[in-house]
Amino acid sequence: MLGAPNGRDGVRSPMFVLSFLIRRLAQGAVIIFLVSLLIFTLLRVVPGDPVRLMAGGMAPEALIEEIATKMGLRDPIVVQFGRYMGKVVQGDLGQSFVRPANGAATGGASFNDATRGERAEVLDLILETLPMTLQLAATALAIALVFSTALGVAAGLNPGGWIDKLAFYVSSVFISLPNFWLGIVLALLLSVKLGWLPAIGYAGYSYTILPAIVLAVELSPVLIRTLSSAVAAQMGQSYVAIGHVRGLTLPRIVLNHALRNASVPLLNVLGVQFSSLLGGVIIVEYIFDYPGLGLLTINAVLQRDFPLIQGIAIVTSAIFVLINILVDLAATSIDPRLEY
Amino acid sequence: MSAIDPAFTALPIPSPAASSRSIARRILGRAARSTEFRIGLALFAILLLAAAVYPELSGIDPTKMDVRARLLPPLFMGDKWSWAHPLGTDQIGRDMLVRSVVGLRYSFLIGVASVAVTLLIGCVLGAVAGYFGGRVDTLAMRVTDAQLSIPMIILAIAVLGVSRPTIPAIILVLGLSNWPVYARVMRSVVMAERGREYVRAAQVSGATHARIILTLLIPLLAPPILLTSILDVARMMIFESTLGFLGLGVQPPTPTFGNIIADGRKYLLNAWWIATMPGVFLCLTLTSINLIGAAFERARNTIYGGV
Repeated sequence: MLGAPNGRDGVRSPMFVLSFLIRRLAQGAVIIFLVSLLIFTLLRVVPGDPVRLMAGGMAPEALIEEIATKMGLRDPIVVQFGRYMGKVVQGDLGQSFVRPANGAATGGASFNDATRGERAEVLDLILETLPMTLQLAATALAIALVFSTALGVAAGLNPGGWIDKLAFYVSSVFISLPNFWLGIVLALLLSVKLGWLPAIGYAGYSYTILPAIVLAVELSPVLIRTLSSAVAAQMGQSYVAIGHVRGLTLPRIVLNHALRNASVPLLNVLGVQFSSLLGGVIIVEYIFDYPGLGLLTINAVLQRDFPLIQGIAIVTSAIFVLINILVDLAATSIDPRLEY
Repeated sequence: MSAIDPAFTALPIPSPAASSRSIARRILGRAARSTEFRIGLALFAILLLAAAVYPELSGIDPTKMDVRARLLPPLFMGDKWSWAHPLGTDQIGRDMLVRSVVGLRYSFLIGVASVAVTLLIGCVLGAVAGYFGGRVDTLAMRVTDAQLSIPMIILAIAVLGVSRPTIPAIILVLGLSNWPVYARVMRSVVMAERGREYVRAAQVSGATHARIILTLLIPLLAPPILLTSILDVARMMIFESTLGFLGLGVQPPTPTFGNIIADGRKYLLNAWWIATMPGVFLCLTLTSINLIGAAFERARNTIYGGV
């Protein structure tokens, strides 16, 4: 227990990293396949016919059936899924059912309306909105990390003290704030009453801040609790006591050693929190009308845009898999005692 | 919204099997001594009492319109407030307090029911996986992994958005969203217990596996898990109100936090209380539940930490 496990001498061989990456990517591919299968099946099992929405409410039943058959929506689900995955493997996520490529309105009186433009590619729609969501998520993560590190480390250094109690109550209240309500209240206060920040739509980076604050409040409680208990645990380790004997100052011990070790549980939590961050993004983008992936998701669901929903599910689960691989790689480079 | 509590998954194995039953009681006792727990419990009791008796006691119908008393502000706000409507009224004169309280009923019942579904699936699947091990275990854990990597919110919105959101459907969707956490914890504790003498004795004396799992292992190992699942009730209530806000929860005219707030958002500028007051109510409820749950969690961590 003498040497602080600081990992600088614990570099793994490239072969090791490679085999780890291959194994994890293969597992990830299986997970993505399962997710697509699940979403694909669910969308087709639950009631609600997308063709009815596409063709308009006045379209005769025969036309609906004709279009559906032409689009292959009446084939067995297994056949449809096979055809779909065959294209996905080639990087083709299909076309949206309802969205036009050029931004014109959809849903005319009849399906073969000449004014209907080309339908938009799912991949294009996702790639257009993904950077916006990443910008929002990164801003939220930055705010949450700064806030929770300050509070969590201060609480962990003095367990049972007043900061620890404060951190406990703050995280209990933050976790109890429904994000949609907080969004509305903050928009009312900061945007309407005080006029500090713009809220609705997007026309520049300042529009990201308010949604990001809402997301950060949602993310913080888990981060604060993880950090404060991890820091408290690390400060009880013998290397910290020895650090004092070695004549290191407290800030140096905390910043260079304890925080480094405490960041491993934090990283793991961040990887797992991704799916809850995604849930938050959907709601927050919907409230603030922020043109990102979340708003796209909600609209896709409400319009029963099957290809778009499937595409989003595949892309998000792929991101989830990648983030968790990165988290594990980062964790092992921080603490080489961890097994891949 | 399936956040995994790190302390929860890293749950150490309870040491002596004989004292396991008392662990739940020790957690309870330890938590009951903390201030946070008492504040939470008192707040929760008041809110629950209000939810149980206020609508009948006041005799106000949460869906009754009263155009003359429309858009009244809450107590002491503005100049039109009245004692008859402590939280004000909405755009068609419905009393906000009664609507919030009825919303609390639905939200709480749906929250508890969906956590019950979660616990049932998670504990049984985890216990089976841990007890039998081998291929059963591998299969169950792969299903768990896949479940964890699906963004549940997309699934929930997709299912409820496309089909009709009824109360059983909402409970099922919420309940299916968070069971992997419990399955993992239950599996790890059952794995540690299955080789113990009392389990072997039961096997030798001819008890079936189902009997051992249901009457020996689950009653012994579930109570500590049950206590911390209170935190999930709060999480499910938020999830429920979020779905309601998107129009995918319990449908109007039944008032729920989600649909009241979504409704009030349209009148935000001239009647801010319609959207904010139910939120304050919901937030108080969730805070009280979270304080209780967090106190349990702390107590459990200290007890398992061996202090």
